[in-house]
Amino acid sequence: MALIECKNVSLGYEHHVVATGINFTAESGDFLCIVGENGSGKSTLVKAILGLKETYSGHLHLGDGLKKKQIGYLPQQTTAQRDFPASVAEVVLSGCLPSKTGVFYSRALRKRAEDNMEKLDILPLKNRCYRELSGGQQQRVLLARALCATEKLLLLDEPVTGLDPLVTAEFYSLISKINRSLGITVLMVSHDLSACLALGTHILHMQNGSAFFGTVEAYRQSDLYRQFTEGGSHG
Amino acid sequence: MGELLNFFVSHSFMLRALLVGVLISLCCALLGVSLVLKRFSMIGDGLSHVGFGALAIACAANVAPLYFSIPIVVLAAFLLLAMNEKGALKGDAAIALISTGALAVGVMVTSMTTGMNVDIYNYMFGSILAMSRGDVVLSVLLSVAVIVLFCVFYEEIFAVTFDESFAKATGTRVKAYNFLIAMLTAVTIVVGMRMMGALLISSLIIFPTVTSMRVCKSFRRVVGMSVLVSVVCFVLGLVVSVKLEAPTGASVVCVNIAFLAVFALLGAVLNLPQRSKLFRFRRVLAVLLVLLLLCGAALPFFGGIDIHEAKKLSVVTTSFAPFDFARAVCGDDAEVTMLLSPGEESHTFEPTPGDLLQLEQCDVFVYGGGESDAWADDILSSLDTSKKQIVRMMDVVELQEEQSLEGMQEEEEEEEPYDEHVWTSVFNAQKITAAVCDAVCAADSDHAASFRARAADYTAQMQALDDAFFALAKKKQGQSFIVGDRFPFQYFMTRYGFSFYAAFPGCSAESDANPHTVGFLIDKAKAQQTPVIFKVDLSTGAVANTIAAASGSRVETLYSCHVISAEDFANGETYVTLMQRNLAALDA
Repeated sequence: MALIECKNVSLGYEHHVVATGINFTAESGDFLCIVGENGSGKSTLVKAILGLKETYSGHLHLGDGLKKKQIGYLPQQTTAQRDFPASVAEVVLSGCLPSKTGVFYSRALRKRAEDNMEKLDILPLKNRCYRELSGGQQQRVLLARALCATEKLLLLDEPVTGLDPLVTAEFYSLISKINRSLGITVLMVSHDLSACLALGTHILHMQNGSAFFGTVEAYRQSDLYRQFTEGGSHG
Repeated sequence: MGELLNFFVSHSFMLRALLVGVLISLCCALLGVSLVLKRFSMIGDGLSHVGFGALAIACAANVAPLYFSIPIVVLAAFLLLAMNEKGALKGDAAIALISTGALAVGVMVTSMTTGMNVDIYNYMFGSILAMSRGDVVLSVLLSVAVIVLFCVFYEEIFAVTFDESFAKATGTRVKAYNFLIAMLTAVTIVVGMRMMGALLISSLIIFPTVTSMRVCKSFRRVVGMSVLVSVVCFVLGLVVSVKLEAPTGASVVCVNIAFLAVFALLGAVLNLPQRSKLFRFRRVLAVLLVLLLLCGAALPFFGGIDIHEAKKLSVVTTSFAPFDFARAVCGDDAEVTMLLSPGEESHTFEPTPGDLLQLEQCDVFVYGGGESDAWADDILSSLDTSKKQIVRMMDVVELQEEQSLEGMQEEEEEEEPYDEHVWTSVFNAQKITAAVCDAVCAADSDHAASFRARAADYTAQMQALDDAFFALAKKKQGQSFIVGDRFPFQYFMTRYGFSFYAAFPGCSAESDANPHTVGFLIDKAKAQQTPVIFKVDLSTGAVANTIAAASGSRVETLYSCHVISAEDFANGETYVTLMQRNLAALDA
């Protein structure tokens, strides 16, 4: 059964429909990239998947025993976070919040946070202050937090905004590694079409209410892709 | 140090202030961490203004201030959050609207009812005497609630503070936590603002977190350090206010400023870049700074409280007139103190802890008993007064209700119907001098003879003045004097039969005359071709100047003797010499 199944969904905010007829499925292990111009409803779709927004119509279903709380979400950074006095360990641990049962984090959850820091090579930064890290390191910390929250699905919202090209490439390879070696499904919203084509297995292109969904290969053959790249504004 | 401790222990109001203050500081620090880091610090400021408005309305409507303002401020907190959430108005604009709006409503309600009285002034700048037993109970309950909630939901609060979107996505009830924090903040602010002042309470929320952020690198440490800094700053501020005889709220904020400065330096030193020349010395510098902070913090505890050892009889008076009478009667045989400093405004006077200590240790206390020293009655009721001689001037003379003169700007709902400026009639001044003389004689019978001799001498000088005023009133019969100011001379006017027009009643702190009143006085001045418009001492004379300019007259000063300017005080002016000035000014 598919991890996410989205059938003929329409979305909007403040009584204003921004996208209709969205159809896609994400199977376990997929790397699905969501592209499209600003205002095409990408962020609204992310919110709908997270359960923070109702769909107007259609059917959005999480399968495979995936619960909304168990999505590893990597939101866009806010300005307030940039000078937030928190240690790396505290931030990563807060990803375990949905699994917490008592007042404090259990030993097992602390171990999970530690393991994820190890996976992302940030264990040596454990006691460093979040605000003193570089942009790339901060993004790794937030990724480790997202991993703490999930075993199945990562949802990344414009994850490389503000990173320099070298750090961006590193970050992409990290996500790719997580996707392949840990078998975690990745949904990534991005403006970086070339990265999406290189990394992704599937593409969801949202535009003016209509949408394309298919494999990367199929997308390369589509009219939408041609228009999009020939338009010259993206890609 | 021992004396200081004793002072706190022996005064229930100081203990209450200490307890409530420590608990409120603790709550403010905990809530502040979340508010500051979420960029919501201005909520604290906005809510304190709403609190002021609510207290002003409660005061006007004569309902219990706490039970009225807590729901209002909680409601405002919810409104602010909801507006922020909906995005209908962005946070800072919404807060500015609500806070200035509430302040304006508070001032309107106040000016239409009681006038800017002592209570309202206290709400703005705080009063250490404001803490009742009910407040103690409320603040204990409140702080227990805040601490328990903070401990139980610590991880959730961290998650919500650090990243709302992520917390929401992982199923944390972000809205509920935001409302919880806003509600607790609202209650904390209402309880704390009457001690710290509406204009200063939000500093308790903001300073400790900002200070801790300079040096602490994890959330847990910021929380711990904020609580520590907040409580330490409050206790130090309270001690400093006792020592320097300064208002408590402002002292606490100043201590917070000092802490912030030292912590900022400390943060800079600890984060020195490696290539800096000072890098090698950063540990030494840090240790030096911490030592400096500790020494600075210990400083207020040394040296005891600066109170004259009472070898002589100690007489404490509130304002200038009773001070002058006591000074004349006592000569060198007693230490006479005036609580109101020369040049200080009488109607908004608020006793400092040091003043209260003097009051407690004195042998004789002379005060008015009217609106501007209403605090004295409260304090006296909590003190052991069996060994004290107390003269309440309004008990000594025949009281007159404060009358409204023709054309005077009305003040509705006067709390205290009697005019408190009883000494403006020289006859009353003689009576009060006699009463003060009786009191000091009773307190110190060894010097009774010299007390009586001096009192007789001074009342004789007053008698001459009294006769002179009667003669003047006869001469000026049918003529009206115009006072473009407050009018504290009612007893004076009635005693001698003068006729006056004036802008405001005696105790009014109102300085904004309405155009109608000013117009009336200008018409009177023109019709009578009055050569002189009077203002009252220590007033800016804005209204008198306006009238004088419009009617082509000059401005002269009348002395109420309630307060005295620093200059006149230094020159040794007395009640009699100031009243002689009045005589000359009126005779012109």
